[in-house]
Amino acid sequence: MNLNYNGNDTFISTGGNNIEFHKPTICFIHGAGQNHFSFTQQTRYFANRGYNVISPDFPGHGFSNGRSNCSIEEDAKWLLGLLEEIGVEKFVLGGHSQGCLTALEISKIKPQALKGIIFIAGASKIPVNDFLIGKATEDPNKAYDLMVTWGHGVQGSFSISEWPGHHHLLEGNSVMRINDISALANDLNSCNNYEGGLNAAKSIKLDCLAVLARFDIMTPLKAGKKLVDAIKNCESHVLNCGHFLPAEKPKELNKIIFQYLKNLEK
Amino acid sequence: MSEKYKFDTMSLHAGHVPDKETGSRAVPIYQTTSYVFNDTDEAAALYNMEVGGHLYTRISNPTVSTLEQRLSALEGGVSSIACSSGMAAMHLVISAICSQGDHIVASNKMYGANINLLQHTMPRFGVETEFVNPNNLDEIKKAIKPNTKLLFGEVIGNPGLDVMDVPSVAKICKENNIPLVIDATFNTPYLMRPFEFGANIVIHSLTKWLGGHGVAIGGVLINGGNFDWGDKKKFPTISGPHFALNGISFWEEFGPSSITAKIRAEGMYNFGPSLSPMNAFYVLQGIETLSLRMKKHMENTSYMLEFLTNHEAVSWVKHPDLKSHPDHKIAKKILPKGSGSIIVFGVKGGREAGKAFIESVQLSSHLANVGDAKTLLIHPGSTTHSHLSSKAMKSAGLTDDMIRLSVGLEDIDDIKKDFEIGFKSILKNN
Repeated sequence: MNLNYNGNDTFISTGGNNIEFHKPTICFIHGAGQNHFSFTQQTRYFANRGYNVISPDFPGHGFSNGRSNCSIEEDAKWLLGLLEEIGVEKFVLGGHSQGCLTALEISKIKPQALKGIIFIAGASKIPVNDFLIGKATEDPNKAYDLMVTWGHGVQGSFSISEWPGHHHLLEGNSVMRINDISALANDLNSCNNYEGGLNAAKSIKLDCLAVLARFDIMTPLKAGKKLVDAIKNCESHVLNCGHFLPAEKPKELNKIIFQYLKNLEK
Repeated sequence: MSEKYKFDTMSLHAGHVPDKETGSRAVPIYQTTSYVFNDTDEAAALYNMEVGGHLYTRISNPTVSTLEQRLSALEGGVSSIACSSGMAAMHLVISAICSQGDHIVASNKMYGANINLLQHTMPRFGVETEFVNPNNLDEIKKAIKPNTKLLFGEVIGNPGLDVMDVPSVAKICKENNIPLVIDATFNTPYLMRPFEFGANIVIHSLTKWLGGHGVAIGGVLINGGNFDWGDKKKFPTISGPHFALNGISFWEEFGPSSITAKIRAEGMYNFGPSLSPMNAFYVLQGIETLSLRMKKHMENTSYMLEFLTNHEAVSWVKHPDLKSHPDHKIAKKILPKGSGSIIVFGVKGGREAGKAFIESVQLSSHLANVGDAKTLLIHPGSTTHSHLSSKAMKSAGLTDDMIRLSVGLEDIDDIKKDFEIGFKSILKNN
């Protein structure tokens, strides 16, 4: 789906189906330097199981135009405005990595809109080292290489994917190259500068879900567990993969999310 | 880019880690047609391309998939589809991109079956091709029309060994928003990786050097993930709604992998040119030693070039590594490790001399293949093109006296000795 939003062409993956307002909605929020292709194996899955799926490309990412946002606060406001424009009032948020910070910020500024939150390979604070931020600024292509190499578990390194014939690392690199050249640096700075995650997590009253990755070296498991501990009610799972969990373990992730969504409806 | 391990390591390991259940170090051969679904939900997810996985071996198979992932890694591509032959791979690509009324620009210096497909078969389905000299950049630019959907050529042409100026041709393709589809069979990713020079889709006959032992026919198409298929007017069946999967847009759903997603959903489904798991295993075994074999192929090729260029029974020798080759300069640039192990040469005495040579050698095999570990020979004038007059052969870029040599891995002294037997028979006849 394409929308002109805030003066920019904005792309929203809906998993191939139209939005129907009587259905429950899940909104996937991509991570730093990513776009809706992070959730290729989630969008169609949930769209065909009774959910409206909204997986937008943030400005300067994927197929969306515009200058990329420069803070998590800006990301949160942008997404809430988009969902309002689409006409969705209540929704479940599913964030991956930086998307978890955006979800935490939204939980702080508009908790009444949320039915649930799913944290995928996330944390309440995502510090980024100066080296990676520097590379993302000076040589984004090198930064993409580093991120996809660090971000995948052992199977990614050996070109093993559940999707026949696909190479995780090289595909991940191509996904990042679709974005505007400045998007990654802005995203990494947004992550690095965001301080409100832990307090936001402590204030969440909803039942949440966290799916973490055992071999995650971008948002380490220890940081993910700290987020889980901060939330009053957060079911957690740990999968044997790297940071790019939605692509590395799609079937396991989908099953866990699906059960969580069913439990929310009870 | 984005590769943790180097080429030789990935030749051995990409696409496979030891099986957890059995500990099998070798890639298992999944000799099965189909796969038991855990439940109806899983079946639906696979059929709707919601998640990856295997549902029927015509579409995909775990052994074949290991091969595909190994080749993606070695070429630096994002996704691959292995199939029954190199020709099947070419047809899958063309039929995924082109529809009735579309146009292709292709090299006029290619393998005969490629020419036949484009010149005679595809026009019956409304897809026309204009053939151009692959290194005449002005001719290529002039041939591109608004309905041109792809440019096709071979890195090293078969059998003429013309080398395409891939970076320059890729630049023209980019300027015109058309993908460069390139057959890289003669170079293999060991000698050159076309994506690094701007190509968008790479095709191989796996039967040749990648398999390397002449035991299995196979092909592969590898997607560079570096082409924007988003132009809905130009590529409506990739970016626009497609009949499969309830009007899916492959571009919007799969982005960099949209071309392989479409070929998996349409080409493999509807045409069914699948690679057998057994043949995938044979090719995987070959790839494990690709680097070692290519080094030796190139070493022996170098010796044979020296031997042939100095032999009294030989009238001419053609190979891009020779300074006399018209494409030597571009070959040095894009194929610094060597331009492959095919040599074409002429024997003094024309068609009869060629025939005498072929019938006299004992070690080299007279057959219609290339890229085997063994030395192979063919004399088109007395075999594949024997029905053509000298004039007709010339217009096809061939000559009466031409012999195509695929240099093998035998001891170089033994290959030379064998050739001396053949040359003696020519000198005797002359």
